[in-house]
Amino acid sequence: MRGETTHSVVLDPRTAPPFPEAALPILRNTQLRKNVAHATDVIQAKRARLVVEKIDWQELRSAAAAIKNEALAHLDQYLTEFATRCTAAGGHVHWAADGEEARRIIIDILRAEKAAEVIKIKTMTSAEIELNPALESAGIHAIETDLAELILQLGDDEPSHIVAPALHVNRSQVREIFARRMGRADLSDDPEALTAAARSYLRGKFLSADAAISGANFLVAETGAVTIVESEGNGRMCLTLPRTLIALAGIEKVIPRFQDLEVLLQVLARSATGERMNPYSSVWTGVIPGDGPQNFHLVLLDNGRSSILAHPTGRQTLRCIRCAACQNTCPVYRQTGGHAYGSVYGGPIGAILTPQLMHLEHAQSLPYASSLCGACYEVCPVKINIPEVLIDLRAQVVDQERTRTARAFDLMYIAMRLANGVFASAWRFRWAQRFGRLALWPFTRKDGWIHALPSLGGRWTMTRDLRGLPRQSFRDWWAMRAKEKP
Amino acid sequence: MRASLFITCYNDTLFPETGRAVVRLLERLGVTLDFNPEQTCCGQMHANTGFRAEAFSQAKRFVRLYQNAESVVIPSTSCVAMIRDQYPGLLQELGSDGQRKDLDALLPRVFELSEFLTDRLGVDDVGAYFPHRVTYHASCHGLRGLHVGDRPFRLLNKVRGLELIVLENLDRCCGFGGTFSIKNAEVSSAMLSAKLQDVLSTRAEYCTALDNSCLMHLGGALHRGFAAMRTVHLAEILASSESVPAESFA
Amino acid sequence: MNSPSSAQMVILDRVRAAIAGIPAEPDAHPHPGYIRRGELDRHACLELMIERLREYNADVVECMPPDLPDCIEATLRASAHRTFLAPPGLPSDWRVSGFNWKIDTHLSYAEIEACDGVVTAAFAGIADSGTIVLHHSAAEGRRVLTLLPDWHLCILRTSQVVETLPEYFDRCPQPPALATYISGPSATADIEMTRIKGVHGPRFLNVLLVHDDAPGLRSTRNGDLG
Repeated sequence: MRGETTHSVVLDPRTAPPFPEAALPILRNTQLRKNVAHATDVIQAKRARLVVEKIDWQELRSAAAAIKNEALAHLDQYLTEFATRCTAAGGHVHWAADGEEARRIIIDILRAEKAAEVIKIKTMTSAEIELNPALESAGIHAIETDLAELILQLGDDEPSHIVAPALHVNRSQVREIFARRMGRADLSDDPEALTAAARSYLRGKFLSADAAISGANFLVAETGAVTIVESEGNGRMCLTLPRTLIALAGIEKVIPRFQDLEVLLQVLARSATGERMNPYSSVWTGVIPGDGPQNFHLVLLDNGRSSILAHPTGRQTLRCIRCAACQNTCPVYRQTGGHAYGSVYGGPIGAILTPQLMHLEHAQSLPYASSLCGACYEVCPVKINIPEVLIDLRAQVVDQERTRTARAFDLMYIAMRLANGVFASAWRFRWAQRFGRLALWPFTRKDGWIHALPSLGGRWTMTRDLRGLPRQSFRDWWAMRAKEKP
Repeated sequence: MRASLFITCYNDTLFPETGRAVVRLLERLGVTLDFNPEQTCCGQMHANTGFRAEAFSQAKRFVRLYQNAESVVIPSTSCVAMIRDQYPGLLQELGSDGQRKDLDALLPRVFELSEFLTDRLGVDDVGAYFPHRVTYHASCHGLRGLHVGDRPFRLLNKVRGLELIVLENLDRCCGFGGTFSIKNAEVSSAMLSAKLQDVLSTRAEYCTALDNSCLMHLGGALHRGFAAMRTVHLAEILASSESVPAESFA
Repeated sequence: MNSPSSAQMVILDRVRAAIAGIPAEPDAHPHPGYIRRGELDRHACLELMIERLREYNADVVECMPPDLPDCIEATLRASAHRTFLAPPGLPSDWRVSGFNWKIDTHLSYAEIEACDGVVTAAFAGIADSGTIVLHHSAAEGRRVLTLLPDWHLCILRTSQVVETLPEYFDRCPQPPALATYISGPSATADIEMTRIKGVHGPRFLNVLLVHDDAPGLRSTRNGDLG
């Protein structure tokens, strides 16, 4: 991994290895761990400064959560209102029940426009539905214009972070990718030079593209407006220059009123990039005569969101505004980066969103990819209680397991069931303690510590010693002391 | 003052010296302790691994056992967090009205050790003597679940002879996470490795915390690496005095 | 689309079924516990606006209304550029002589690219974040005018400057159909978190702050003209 590009990475929750397995090779990639730690430290520090400065930060979080809750509680009404107003303003609103339908809608639009090339703004939603490969198959070449996405596209790679998708790639890797794919052997690995190369590479594309594809940060029901925030300006290029614009948005992106942005923009920028406002934020409504794309399509995507909405505990997941503050603070993500989660959504939000989008048919290891430390909940601008959702998802995974015959061979399952039986009575518990002492005695060295255990225990002792079970438990000491007292 | 000690399943089995220290400490402060021998586990391990029904049966047992306790003292922030944060939801979903009522009545009487000392007994200075360099790791459940805040520091600052060295990134998770340490042993170890860098750079003699779970994880790696540092539960520091130093409890 | 598509009906049905169990919130509207109005006096507010603009390398010059055309002329001259775009509604006395003006009457992208810079008005300034707000009126121009050129002079009146983002929202008589919020130069940190400025969009932003709301309120910073 030293200066080479990564091999082609595919993030598909349906086929990705379980988290512990996926994490293993990545843990051995010290370059990536260094990159992730550095990137997340930078953003966290910037965020922390601004949060301290914002004396009404907790009130803003509460307000942001309340706004999103209101939108979700009346989602049918706000979606309909949004669609009506967007259409009245000249936009075409499409509804896609799943990713396949969304891909078909988008390809049909582009074919009707005879667009052979389409420029794209970074949108995780399009990665979620695997849009780019589908476009390629349909003979439509998609060009990512966000610098990070461009790096990933040219490097046949996948995003590892929601806001800074290429944070696992270092400058010499970028240089190598650009040299190979842009034909720029002259480039140094100076980020300034690399960015300039991307700028000139994309300039021509912006001016000649017939169509653009974007996501959306917020859809305003009150007016039918779409809001996109960004740093580079490639968004403005894509939203303004081509003739046709297609915006793809999950149904949970709807907010009730334009004025709700006064809360959401404040919390989003600080959480995502540690800025008071993103360098560029754009609001547009349908088609504006004489300004920008005269052919605007908005694709509303369900793809599992409505089933998350039905779940009392999981519903809060849909409040997410994709700021990635949870990823930046997560001590697990810090060591593994995003690819280990096997999904375009990684880190804490990925651990709850991906399994739910998959209806828990896949990605069942993700809810366990957490030590439940709660740091994510602390920073979430819309107060998603991620640990609560993780625990709830774990309960759902176990309930699935209870019905499978394979559980009889699952050591962990058996151990948990046994333990429950043991905890049901003090008598059993005391005997289990004695049995444990006996069973561990052969593994206990002279210094009273255990250095190696078999089976599940070996997962502990691979990196940690375990002090041998003391001869006398606390309750035995207490009982003995009570006997000794007059 | 009376209080019931809930020792926790893992302290009982693996760290009885912490329990002995709690007894010594609280009795020294004039508390009459009782120990219900029927106690086993609070159900956290099962709840956090997804075994809700099992966790519920342990939860309702706990509530039943301590119905009449004046106070319940628990030397483990994760267990108290389980009782405060998860028991209400468990009993809401699986329990009866009566059980929920009993829980509501019990919750205000449940204390983590440092909470019991500073809030219930109203003391910062517990008369402790522990002449060593010590660093403190903020266990996640205590930090973010219980909001213990500066209680441990107030207590540590009054310990005679103790030199407290602030741990960098003290609020970063050590990587234990219960069954996470087994199910995701490699990632858990990577997090531990990062934590150890900060812990070892304090050059303290002891690393302390409010939870033996974190300390078992940290201490296990310190022992594996022959590090010149040991872990010790805060209770043992606080129970330590000139006449009865911490080592004698082991 | 006239009749709802089947996907629309499927999705809305799913959504309705999903939200049926959500208990009604007693107070549906967000609680305004957060700060809406700023506490700075006008002078401090304008100072803050200037400070934030300069933090992101915008060039800020202040002037009084009668001196505006001279200030524009000096700023354009200092840029060493010759050809400037003007939105169709830009006041004619802002199109100072001595320069090549191209008024945007459906100019092509090539014609826009051929210009060195653009001069526009603005809708508002938000001091807290140093944000320039464009609602793309006739004097502000369509979006491409402030996107393609590398150099942008924005003429902002002090009466347009508010302290907080919520105050800006209060200023809008109704929600704008079109808006662009500029709070920094285009920037990326995508390569090893190294902040590089000026990726796409104008790399040079100049702001002429015209003191039109309170006489004699001038900062003592460099760049004072007139």
